[in-house]
Amino acid sequence: MSMVALTVNERAVEALAEPRTSLADFVRDKLDLTGTHLGCEHGICGACTVLVDGVPARSCITYAVACEGAEVTTIEGLDEDEITAELRAAFTREHALQCGYCTPGMLVSARDLVLRLPQADEKQIRIGLSGNLCRCTGYVGIVRAVGSVIEQRRGRGISPERDGGRNVLGPVGSGHGSQAGTEPAAQLQPPIAQVAHEAADSVTSIPAFTPANVFEQHFEVAHPPGRVFAMLDDIAVVAACLPGVSLLGSPRPDRVEGEIRVRIGPIAAVFRGAARIEREAAEMSGRIVGIGTDQRSRSSTQGEIRYRLERLDGGGTRVSLSIGYTLKGMLAQVGRTGLVRDLAGRLIAEFAGNLDRHLSGEALPVTHATTADLNGLSLFFGLLRTRMGRWLARASRHDRGAAG
Amino acid sequence: MKPAPFAYERPRDLTAALSLLGETAASAKVIAGGQSLGPMLNLRLAAPELIVDISALAELKQAEHHGDELVLGACVTHADIEDGRVSDLTRGAMQGIAANIAYRAVRNRGTIGGSLSHADPAADWVSGLAAMGARLTLRSRGGTRIVNVEDFIVGALESVLRLGEIVETIHIPARSPSAHWGYVKSCRRTGEFAHAIGAVLIDPNAGKARVVIGAIEAAPIVLKDPLELFGGHIASDYKDRFDARVADAILVKAGVSNAAQRHIHVSVLRRAIREAAA
Repeated sequence: MSMVALTVNERAVEALAEPRTSLADFVRDKLDLTGTHLGCEHGICGACTVLVDGVPARSCITYAVACEGAEVTTIEGLDEDEITAELRAAFTREHALQCGYCTPGMLVSARDLVLRLPQADEKQIRIGLSGNLCRCTGYVGIVRAVGSVIEQRRGRGISPERDGGRNVLGPVGSGHGSQAGTEPAAQLQPPIAQVAHEAADSVTSIPAFTPANVFEQHFEVAHPPGRVFAMLDDIAVVAACLPGVSLLGSPRPDRVEGEIRVRIGPIAAVFRGAARIEREAAEMSGRIVGIGTDQRSRSSTQGEIRYRLERLDGGGTRVSLSIGYTLKGMLAQVGRTGLVRDLAGRLIAEFAGNLDRHLSGEALPVTHATTADLNGLSLFFGLLRTRMGRWLARASRHDRGAAG
Repeated sequence: MKPAPFAYERPRDLTAALSLLGETAASAKVIAGGQSLGPMLNLRLAAPELIVDISALAELKQAEHHGDELVLGACVTHADIEDGRVSDLTRGAMQGIAANIAYRAVRNRGTIGGSLSHADPAADWVSGLAAMGARLTLRSRGGTRIVNVEDFIVGALESVLRLGEIVETIHIPARSPSAHWGYVKSCRRTGEFAHAIGAVLIDPNAGKARVVIGAIEAAPIVLKDPLELFGGHIASDYKDRFDARVADAILVKAGVSNAAQRHIHVSVLRRAIREAAA
């Protein structure tokens, strides 16, 4: 905990808060200013929009401790504000609210548009309000209300302020506080091993499924198909070639348990689960189907890898992969299939290199920083891994435009 | 939807920040405006032990001319660029990109350096700055190095940043008087991450161009002298000479296997070229 001091609605306030306390939770829980609403809590819905240093900011993804010394204005602080008063009257006139949940954030964003837009252009108003979602979908009335206030004010000769009154560089809210630091956070997430065990125990069966996403990859190795196929039957070897993968217990021919550590950007997940392996020796093909969960992000995935080996001219082997997966939970909310594909590509390249090295009798790199650190996909490759493995996973991201 | 606990440090100056990151790099994340990292923290997709807040560092909130380029500190925000609080040597190209990133409330805190560091292939600056030929100064306590924007991102959410290293400044070259600029992105919903980005800097007088096909979920395709896109040479009729089949082949080669997605990328690129020619 650290003492956070800032100005809220023109009143100096001080309260103890953890570094992870958002500005929204700070004003709601410490100051009882519950007019600021929380919707999505990851910067998309706009319900939590407040003024920081006079201009709009998302209070759900702005931490209170980062706003030391800043001037914050919540909806409660806009009672006497001239523009907001005009907006309230216009919202009433145009029936611009129904349940009212989005309204505090909507008014803060609308006030900013009234200040900045040169004229009441409907398209510009709609673009300007696109970061505030109304689940009652009352946008027509809201847009009319905002447009009418802009029109009236410009009619009265009040000019727009392009910058909304901001005249210094950098993130709003920053730069007022001096150096600061907190004690190291005591317990962080539970040790991963412990979490993982619970997850594995819960995997009792591997159901059939139809993947939501499927994509194809391939790689080539300079060894004959017979040897490659034999190696793909050696689960321990395959696991060793897959970055981030480790086996748990003793693999059986039809079932393997293990975990895959995946990292993509700032995201780290450990998927733990089981996989079943099927092989068609006659066709030099196989399928690995698996299921796993990441406790920390409360996400689960099911996946399959189908592989087929073909002899290349010159004696090498082409390994064709069809990778299918379905991801549910928190990771799925922020993820995009393309990111998985990119990671899969990098992971496969690494796997192929390791496989080649192993077939050539070279030692595998012990820890490869890239690998250990890279792969969201590992998960997926995980799949690969257990016999190649187990299944896959994914990765990342979140919100809008460019963020930063 | 609340982050896991983390410790927080707001260093006094850049030297202190780099020294702190040098000691604790593995378990620390740098935060500037927090508009990319914040959502990941809240969703607990990221759970660093320590957050190092660089948003207060005055050294990173500067903008100045150095000869023929503009040098922006990493903590300059999208809104700072949109509003013209920093000067512009690109004749509006930078402003055009900044003004259409996410939403105003996000642009007021989101920073250009933070967006680049996050290395999302669908983010605007990744593609836009690559087309402009911008460079970055990366700094750690061990020193500085300079990389081109197109060499900075290596994949989805992966950059060449090493542990303990941050983006310090962005160097944006002046746009020559004869160079045309076009930037178009495709979003299904205003403010969301793009599904396709086309960014072009074309100088018909000099017969040169830089073309970027971005938001392909991997590092953007950066074509530094793409004569083949324009039937072999670039002149004032480049808009009419644009060859969509060549663009499509480039996307195939880059691994974009879905024909519908390629169509969107090619269409967006064509629009960017038309915008440049307009």
